[in-house]
Amino acid sequence: MSAAEATGPRPLSSRQVTWRRRRASAGRTWRQFRQHAPGVIGLVVLVFFALVAIFAPLIADSTGLSRTQSTGQVLAAPTSQYWLGTDEFGRPVLTLLIWGARVSLLVGLLATLISMVLGTLIGIASGFLGGRIGGLLYRLTEWFLVIPFLPLALVLATLLGGSLYTIGFVIGVTSWPGTALLIRSQTLSIKARPYMERARVLGAGNWHQMSKHVLPNVMPMVFANTTLTVAGAILAETTLSFLGFGDPSRVSWGTMLDSAFSNGALTLGAWWFLFPPGICVVLVVLSFTLVGQALEEIFNPRLRQR
Amino acid sequence: MTQVRDGLARTAAGLGVAAFVLAAALWGSTATAHADTTAPPDAGPTFTIGMTNEVDSFNPFNGIEAESYEAWALMYDYMINYSAKDMSPQPGGLATSWKQSEDGLTWTFDIRTGVTWSDGVALTAKDIAYTYNRILDGGPESATWGSYLLSVTSITAPDDQTVVLELKRPNATLPLLPMPIVPEHIWKDVSEKDVKTYSNEPSGGQPVVGSGPFQLVEGKAGGSTYRFVRNPDYWAGEPHMGEVDMQVYRSEDTLVQALKAGEIDFAEGVTPLQVKSLQGESGITAQEGDSPGFDEIAFNVGSVDLKTGKPLGDPNPAVLDRRFRFALNFAINRQQLATKAYQGAAIPAGNIIPPAYKPWQWDSPADAYAYDPAKARQLLDEAGFKVGGDGWRTLPNGDPIGKLRLFARTDSETSLSTMAFFKEWLKDVQVDSTVVAVESSKLTNIILDGEFDTFSWGWYVEPDPDSILSYFTCAQRGGWSDSWYCNPEYDRLYKEQNSSTVDTERQAIVKQMLQMLYDDAPYLNTVYNQIGEAYRSDRWEGFVPQPDPGGILLFQYGHANYLNVRPVDLSSGGSSSGNGIDGAQVIALGVSGIVLFIGGGLLGSWAGYRRASVDFRE
Amino acid sequence: MSHTIDLTAFDSEDAPAAPPSDEPSRPSRAASWRWFFRKLAGSTATLAFVVVVNFFLFRVINSHPERTLARGRAKTPEQIQAVIDKYGLADPLPQQFLVYLKNIVTLDFGDSYQYSQSVRSLMLDRLWPTLVLVGTSTILSIVIGLWIGTIAAWHRGRKFDTISTTGTITLYSMPEWWLGLILFSVFATGLGPIPRLFPIGKLRSAGIDPWSLDGVIDQAWHLVLPVLTLTLAYLAEYSLIMRSALLDEMGEDYLQTARAKGLRDALVRRRHASRNALLPVVTLVSLNLGFIVSGAITVETVFSIPGLGLLTTDALRIPDIPMLQGTFFVFSAAVVLANLVSNLLYGLLDPRVRV
Repeated sequence: MSAAEATGPRPLSSRQVTWRRRRASAGRTWRQFRQHAPGVIGLVVLVFFALVAIFAPLIADSTGLSRTQSTGQVLAAPTSQYWLGTDEFGRPVLTLLIWGARVSLLVGLLATLISMVLGTLIGIASGFLGGRIGGLLYRLTEWFLVIPFLPLALVLATLLGGSLYTIGFVIGVTSWPGTALLIRSQTLSIKARPYMERARVLGAGNWHQMSKHVLPNVMPMVFANTTLTVAGAILAETTLSFLGFGDPSRVSWGTMLDSAFSNGALTLGAWWFLFPPGICVVLVVLSFTLVGQALEEIFNPRLRQR
Repeated sequence: MTQVRDGLARTAAGLGVAAFVLAAALWGSTATAHADTTAPPDAGPTFTIGMTNEVDSFNPFNGIEAESYEAWALMYDYMINYSAKDMSPQPGGLATSWKQSEDGLTWTFDIRTGVTWSDGVALTAKDIAYTYNRILDGGPESATWGSYLLSVTSITAPDDQTVVLELKRPNATLPLLPMPIVPEHIWKDVSEKDVKTYSNEPSGGQPVVGSGPFQLVEGKAGGSTYRFVRNPDYWAGEPHMGEVDMQVYRSEDTLVQALKAGEIDFAEGVTPLQVKSLQGESGITAQEGDSPGFDEIAFNVGSVDLKTGKPLGDPNPAVLDRRFRFALNFAINRQQLATKAYQGAAIPAGNIIPPAYKPWQWDSPADAYAYDPAKARQLLDEAGFKVGGDGWRTLPNGDPIGKLRLFARTDSETSLSTMAFFKEWLKDVQVDSTVVAVESSKLTNIILDGEFDTFSWGWYVEPDPDSILSYFTCAQRGGWSDSWYCNPEYDRLYKEQNSSTVDTERQAIVKQMLQMLYDDAPYLNTVYNQIGEAYRSDRWEGFVPQPDPGGILLFQYGHANYLNVRPVDLSSGGSSSGNGIDGAQVIALGVSGIVLFIGGGLLGSWAGYRRASVDFRE
Repeated sequence: MSHTIDLTAFDSEDAPAAPPSDEPSRPSRAASWRWFFRKLAGSTATLAFVVVVNFFLFRVINSHPERTLARGRAKTPEQIQAVIDKYGLADPLPQQFLVYLKNIVTLDFGDSYQYSQSVRSLMLDRLWPTLVLVGTSTILSIVIGLWIGTIAAWHRGRKFDTISTTGTITLYSMPEWWLGLILFSVFATGLGPIPRLFPIGKLRSAGIDPWSLDGVIDQAWHLVLPVLTLTLAYLAEYSLIMRSALLDEMGEDYLQTARAKGLRDALVRRRHASRNALLPVVTLVSLNLGFIVSGAITVETVFSIPGLGLLTTDALRIPDIPMLQGTFFVFSAAVVLANLVSNLLYGLLDPRVRV
């Protein structure tokens, strides 16, 4: 754009310099992260679950998910054949758990992607632009913040139907305002910095300022916030599924808990159906939270002093 | 100095809170135990029903949920009664006898004398005629009940003991009149405009005026607790229960726990697995009762825009072909569905008439519903649905069929399972398909828009087959019909049976219609439903199932079991009241333990904090 | 989702781009009033936005209200037409919108499709259980959460801090309804050696006058588990936020000064740090209402408590549009109001923002 030309063409080496600088800063972040024990533990757990989700087809045969071809007894206690017992259709709970990791993580990541993109864009725009557009965006953010998340998500899920992708979409479009507010306040403080003043004086346009100066500066915060958002999104998926608004054709940890609850796992003492999915949710969400907090501490200088 | 006072205050506050919680807990436990055991002796024991759905209206002209029908059955009387054996109408309600004129156009009912409303006013034939006329003259009242008075032209009460129905043409469904009779002296003040929002709930401590065995004293539509108190002067005899309470639980699990804990006496709608596990419990009887209903896989037989007659929606050409649908009848394994998808709580179904209604049942050939994929494949081949190069069948014109859309309802586990099975059976006969799960309310719209190939749902069937048969007539398309089935010959037979006044003649026509539905296959019936019910047999006895044997125990036609059931004679056993006190003591002990534990933890951490803070300062 | 809300975001609107001056100057009376009205106008605008969106959102969900209204009953074309006329469904959209606006002003949300009664009276009946449940747990969780957070921050890195932070982060990562299920299965149904301690869900026993002494105790007895569930679920966030806000404050110069002056710990903590750290917490409490509503919905489901949350999920299944409009309005209005109050409170506590 014209704004980019105004600062004059840059030699290629300058980009290389930038990359080198970024690589160096990434290395620095990693070194700091490694010293943060809870963060590292969280990361290890996450890597474990990610591997399980990716290699699910190799670990557990997908025929174990079929309602029609199941071989086990109905809601049978754990045995050497079924390590975590079976569900109400005689399917092995362990298989469901492994494949459920896929759906839960996928929905969490999808929702986070949507939420981060929306949140970052709207946050930067509303913070930077000011005026009527900025005000309107701020009002929009506030409205989404005011409408209670769960009922709104339930309405949208009813409207769009319960498929994996719509659930991810629904969680994404309802969970961005937190990020947007955070990014907005960051943007406001960056906007007030002296070098932005210089850029403006040199004739940099809005687009240039936002993409070249604001965005790179808020990126670390976005990154730290992402992991926290994933945690929230996975919790949200579990809750939606538990209330019966999930994707009924796929197994996720949430739908497992839903069927445990609605088939009377409590009455039947089927703890193997009720506890493992919940524990997995807690572990994954906890790990994302720990990693997120570690990153936040590294990226947020105010927090780092402590 | 401050420091010390601070610490003391904190300790005191902590102990105070702990003491308060402990006291409240003990008090609470004794209070509940108290409530369990000391009801006034003459009031009669309370029978508590747990269920998983709310009453949606106590106004008989508004509600549609089964729970509401049950509430009305307690509050009001009906003109006719139902047999326990097969729910056929019989005298024993407000009408003691009835007769039909030769031409079938006049029905005369003799009404019981000496029946009074709960406010002392006499219940006469006038009240009955009033109730029926409210329905007959249209408006909101006719929405629920209008179909029972089809072809009725006038309803009169020439005297207090007689009700006369005049008909345009004979109506075979009479005397099936399941409408609750409401008091004219109360309802005359409720205008047609207001009836839509008239709640018919107790107000100002005054129970709702009714004539049934119980009176509604507490409850709101959509609420979670409803209380009905015995009508001591009930004309058919005083009920043995002093009070009937209904409690709504949000899940079957909580429901069953409440039954096991003795908080409720009867659990309605228990899952099959729970029934099995409860059958081992002492003091509890659990069963799967036959309910007069069926589930089916329905096809889009041909959705059309009713105004223009043009095709509507986007049904797959395959399902529009009678031979295609009929062939699939042999591709589905009903037995496997009943054992796996329904966990054994269902009976493989033939057609739309449940087994209890024997006279109407069509004696189908032995292999009419056999699972025979080879036969299905052969029939499909013969009909021109040949297997194409990609291994899937094509339409007779050679175009690919594509994927059939199988609609399941997200709010029904069995419907989801049924479609999962159906998808695999279709694959066996080389037909590709995909399961689409939507909310019931959304599926209704999809059906009315004709945007489906097949779906899984079910119907509840009344003691008279007329209404379920009517759902397949052309006139019901866009209304009750969900398969868009339309066959002029079927319509002719429907009219014929509806005006037939001779039972055997009518039964013969109905069987002909059932054969027609079998051949045209708008529905593939899957199973007849069963409903899981469980009750405290250590406290209550005398349940009569409907249909008898094998039927459901409550939520029947009529209110017979609320008069049949009586408390078990406690003089022989008599341990249950002792349990309450034991329970209370155990509770108290347990709570004190927890409080001490938590209190100890808090104090411990506080002490730790004190130590730490001392360290910190030095 | 409110779970991921970060506190640093909230001073954004009030704190202008320029860093606040070191010398806080008291704003003039006129400026304060202007500030107050601006806040009020902002809240009203948000609420108006909610009202407008409510109207259109639910019309999109259910494009055929007459089918919902008929609810599977005999549907002759005449009957459907009668329904359409009665509810004014054939009126042009702008006209329907005006009727809707007029009714909202009088808090009339129309009649429920599901229960054939006015939405307002149905909601009033359900308000009480939700208020008790949510109110009690919120107060308890704030008190306990702030207490834990304060102590943890003050003794950063020590045993109490480690244990409490681990515990609260774990609670924070737990779906509150799952926690409820676990508590339910242990304490309401009894597990192994643990006896059955509490009633199986619901708000009260049948046949007890809810306003008598026994009735009140009976209700308290029923509410122990749900309140415990929500308290544990909510307190996690409060204690974590209090801890980090306090740690933030403790880094400030004036506290070092205060300590250097020889002020005792407890005094420093109470007089200076805690009060300032409370500012972000106040904001969080109000913003958390959205999260609290979610908790009410799921916990009411687990414990069969007939509150507003259950009313909403039931209405969604039908879908009962007037009911949904009503509950959404109430939920949103509660959050908007809480936000306004916290903003005003913030202004009272910290005059700097009143510019």
